[in-house]
Amino acid sequence: MKDVIVYIEHVQGQPRRVSFEIATKAKELATALGGSVHAVVLGKNAGGAAEQLKAYPVDTIHVSEDPDVDGFLVDPSVDYLEAAAKALGPALVLVPFTAIGRDLGSRLAARLGAGQTADVTDVKVEGGRVVSISPKLGGTVLTSCAFKGDYGIVAVRPNSFKAAQAAGAGNVVQLEKPAGKTYRIKVEEVVVEAAGELGVEEASTVVSGGRGVGGPEPFKTILKDLADSLGGSVGASRAAVDAGWIGHGHQVGQTGKTISPNLYIAVGISGAIQHKVGMRTAATIVAINKDGTVPIGEFADLLVVGDLFAIVPELTKQIRANAAVHA
Amino acid sequence: MKIVVTVKLVPDTSADKRIDPGTKRLVRSGVETVLNPFDEYAIEAALQLKEKAAGSTVTVVTMAPESGKEVVRKALAMGADDAIMISDPQAEGSDVWGTAYALAKTIEKAGFDLVVTGSQSTDASTGEIPGALAEYLGVPGVTYVRKIEVDGTTVKAERETDSGYARVTTELPALVSVTKSINEPRYPSLKGIMGAKKKTIAVQTLADAGVDKPVGSEGARTELTEIATPAPRGKGEIFEAADAVAGAAKIIEFLRERKLV
Repeated sequence: MKDVIVYIEHVQGQPRRVSFEIATKAKELATALGGSVHAVVLGKNAGGAAEQLKAYPVDTIHVSEDPDVDGFLVDPSVDYLEAAAKALGPALVLVPFTAIGRDLGSRLAARLGAGQTADVTDVKVEGGRVVSISPKLGGTVLTSCAFKGDYGIVAVRPNSFKAAQAAGAGNVVQLEKPAGKTYRIKVEEVVVEAAGELGVEEASTVVSGGRGVGGPEPFKTILKDLADSLGGSVGASRAAVDAGWIGHGHQVGQTGKTISPNLYIAVGISGAIQHKVGMRTAATIVAINKDGTVPIGEFADLLVVGDLFAIVPELTKQIRANAAVHA
Repeated sequence: MKIVVTVKLVPDTSADKRIDPGTKRLVRSGVETVLNPFDEYAIEAALQLKEKAAGSTVTVVTMAPESGKEVVRKALAMGADDAIMISDPQAEGSDVWGTAYALAKTIEKAGFDLVVTGSQSTDASTGEIPGALAEYLGVPGVTYVRKIEVDGTTVKAERETDSGYARVTTELPALVSVTKSINEPRYPSLKGIMGAKKKTIAVQTLADAGVDKPVGSEGARTELTEIATPAPRGKGEIFEAADAVAGAAKIIEFLRERKLV
């Protein structure tokens, strides 16, 4: 492995933050491997995403705005990535550990007969080998895995690395359309239900509600307001999701998402093991609960005991006032 | 329609798990083995499709030690028709590549129109088997499906995305992975449990299943080099808020100290 390929996930030409995070990390890895960083940007407005990417340490940006990328599910993107990887030769490929990244990474690995590591929170080069570190068994252990073959695919958990601007050569090249392909999964319609909101996996601040929140309403009002005041997203425990108060896409925990935000605020969540495994790697955990003996008190950095229905709106108000003072 | 559901046997989610430092594998003794909770949604989705298309069958395929047979029987008790277990010491230590490859070979040999999987497991949680499996089977793979309809050979599905969903169509044979939103898995009925005792669980070696490349530790494309236990999070501060203003002020002060506001 020498060069590092990064798959740039973007929404209508706006790269997701995790794309910048992995592009930044790729430079460090490529330097250690003695190779260069190649970004692959595909689909509608890929050119726009490529422009933004120039502010990051990428040597070559491979672009295609082929309409098939958005017209058909996943396969066209895999073909482009496969072609790029084969053209470069033995390489390390970084994809985000998101719905799209997992789909692409797993297929690309199958095509290349390559090893793959997932939900990776750190990657390094040790004695010339690329080693991925990922939490397993709900974060109770950390595994280090080295790749054996010519290629390795790493799916990186969002928020694991800092995105840092540092312009690279940023040469933009157009990818050629892989020949002789037919695509079988047609995308009929894309429905955006939560425009502009970041998913809980990617948000740097997550405000989650649990059983103590008592119903669906607070997810749309007080929790949403608090999340908005911090530029974050709304999450939920399994109890809240199972009760139908909020969609499954918001669930944090064993049967939901495992996330590593900078700040996690758990509201009315007791912190049972099923929830803990989904958020224990948050940099800072603050809990608000009426009961001071809940399990979350054992691992939160701060547990405030009191009435969440009064504290949460007050907190939002104070954060907004604070932001106004410092604006 | 011949439906195949892949399942994984995982340690009980609420159990305390431990890794053997020598073998670097999970210590399974004393930990109850259960069906991966995500796979119950896949079984339920398959059963509902079977109920709608007369003459359909549901076959469960897993790769696990033979000791897991009774766990597989739960899938049969829910209503699946039969099961294939790849139980082979040579499969131990398989990575994503090896697992997907062995499952693909087994499924190909068994024959299928539709493969249904869960979206991830609760132990390794890579979520990468469905994509790899679709690739090895050479069929369209639609992941994160929350709604599915099969009309003749046309599959119509709603696929969850980070910001909503996409409506997609494809043709059988195909693979879908389903999310928790798709259904509410049934509990096995008493009749189902009794009936499951008579259903076939075919235990196969890798060779029986037609797996023609080494999987397991030998064939793995990755090598586990180290297992560490992360430092546990320490207990933080517990603050009894006299009122909302005091509680909120405490949080603001704390966030300021950490430069989070």
